Amino acid sequence: MANRKISAWLGQFVLWAWLLVSLIPVVFMVVTSLKPPGVATSVPPSWSFRPTLDNYAKVLTGGGTGQAFAPLVLNSVIVTVGATILTMLLAVPAAYALSLREFRPRRFLSSWILSTYMFPPMVSVVPLFILAGNLGLFDTYPILIVPYAAINLPIAVWILRSSILQIPYALQEAAMLDGLSRWGILRRVLWPLLVPSVATAAILTAILSWNEFLLALSLTRQDAKTAPVGIMEFTGMFGTDWGLLTAASTVIVAPIVVLTLILRRRIVSGLTFGAVK
Amino acid sequence: MTAHTLPAKTVPAVDDSRPARRRGNRSGWLFASPALLVLVALTVVPTLYLLVSSFRRVELFGGQSEFVGLSNFAAVLTDPEILSSLLATLVFVVVAVSLEMVLGLGLAIPLSAKVRGSGPAAALMLLPFAVAPAVSALLFRQLVNPNYGWVDHYLGALGVIPADLDWLGRPATAWLTVLGLDVWQWTPFVALILMAGLQSLSPEPLEAAAIDGASRWQAFRHVTLPMLTPFLGIALVLRTIQAVKTFDSFQVLTRGGPGDSTEIVNLAIYRVALQSFRIGAAAAVGLLLLVLLLALTPVLLRLVGRRGDNEEA
Repeated sequence: MANRKISAWLGQFVLWAWLLVSLIPVVFMVVTSLKPPGVATSVPPSWSFRPTLDNYAKVLTGGGTGQAFAPLVLNSVIVTVGATILTMLLAVPAAYALSLREFRPRRFLSSWILSTYMFPPMVSVVPLFILAGNLGLFDTYPILIVPYAAINLPIAVWILRSSILQIPYALQEAAMLDGLSRWGILRRVLWPLLVPSVATAAILTAILSWNEFLLALSLTRQDAKTAPVGIMEFTGMFGTDWGLLTAASTVIVAPIVVLTLILRRRIVSGLTFGAVK
Repeated sequence: MTAHTLPAKTVPAVDDSRPARRRGNRSGWLFASPALLVLVALTVVPTLYLLVSSFRRVELFGGQSEFVGLSNFAAVLTDPEILSSLLATLVFVVVAVSLEMVLGLGLAIPLSAKVRGSGPAAALMLLPFAVAPAVSALLFRQLVNPNYGWVDHYLGALGVIPADLDWLGRPATAWLTVLGLDVWQWTPFVALILMAGLQSLSPEPLEAAAIDGASRWQAFRHVTLPMLTPFLGIALVLRTIQAVKTFDSFQVLTRGGPGDSTEIVNLAIYRVALQSFRIGAAAAVGLLLLVLLLALTPVLLRLVGRRGDNEEA
């Protein structure tokens, strides 16, 4: 029994040690962003300083060296909101179709949609780059929004489909007997029951779109550039302004951290396509 | 899986249900097609484009492109840099995912214990996941900065590492840094999947094992671990797919360097396509990558697809 207690205690110790060490990059980010200029890169690292929000003001307005960060954050918001809305508009009806017993290819199509998760975004970068050039869509919002929706569709469709399948089918049949159309069933019967899953899928889509880097790096230059790409400019050949860099990082990371902490369980479940509850 | 291939005749349907069935089929297509169109446009169409251009020399800026047969594939498969990038990808995926599985399992056990503080612990656990990979790579680059970085300063002060170690300047330490970043970012994902798995196991088999006099290790090895297999499988296949797709952390942290020692295949494609504009060669590498990934599809469908499907049975 004593043995059991010791190993349980040891387990907790290891767990909390891991958590504390894994917090270091986040602590570094937040602490450095609050340091006044000159203190940020002091050696040894300074722990007693007067916290200031100067870095945030400078970063957002571009008062420092480079360009203002606020427009890039706005681009990120537009692209994220656009991608989330588009994903949901496509995924909710698709998930409903894939739960219909009369829809014969439903199993094949569900599997195919899931298997597109395999598709490496890097493979689509070259065709998208050329397509964007030909259609004049390079450096615009749609060239990010539509691919982001495609990237997130497998997860969104599977989350929604598995929660539709949990709703008793008799409910749909009863509504059908009452003369409701398919659209009516989706809107009036299923939708109210689906709201929590739609929220999960939407938030996951938003997180993954907000954090996306490869397509944003390859398909935008200035007008539609998003924050994770723009942040790279704070590190240059001529040294890095840590205060500005970490303030910009905090601006990118903070909203996602809040969402993640609130919805931890749903996020893990969603990222496994609903396979883990 | 085979249900959709059954001919309609074998379904013992009442006659008057047939029109409804056909209507159901039609509305199924109607509701599903917008999503299917977008997915086809962004997966099947790019694949076809790659297939075509991998057999051609593509001129991006004017000029005629021409059919060159298999020469792109020949060039790519004899290019030592491309081959080493494929090898680097394999090593990265195997090492990173193995580390994450082992550490994730080790953390999932205390995490699933019902003690005070397990709620906050699970919440804190997911924090690295929330940090955009591009941002965390940038933060790691500052942490290992040989002049001001916290890692160099504090570990150097403790005498663990030589002073002013240039982590990203040597292949071995550059690999350690990218692996450290990946393990930091993704072990929590594995740990939380396995935690959910451990919490969903019924306690009876473990109690029975304890009554039969099994040691803790025996009970874990012969009771818990087998019951946990589906969850281990899901974590393994999802992490493997994600690891093959990794781009951000390498691009920001090492840019494939020093030299090309950390150039994984995604960086190689990016370099060949968007910096050297050798579209045909990049298409050939992309196609190879796609074929390798397709081999994983049945595993994904089996482990993840079937579990997500079980409500329908």
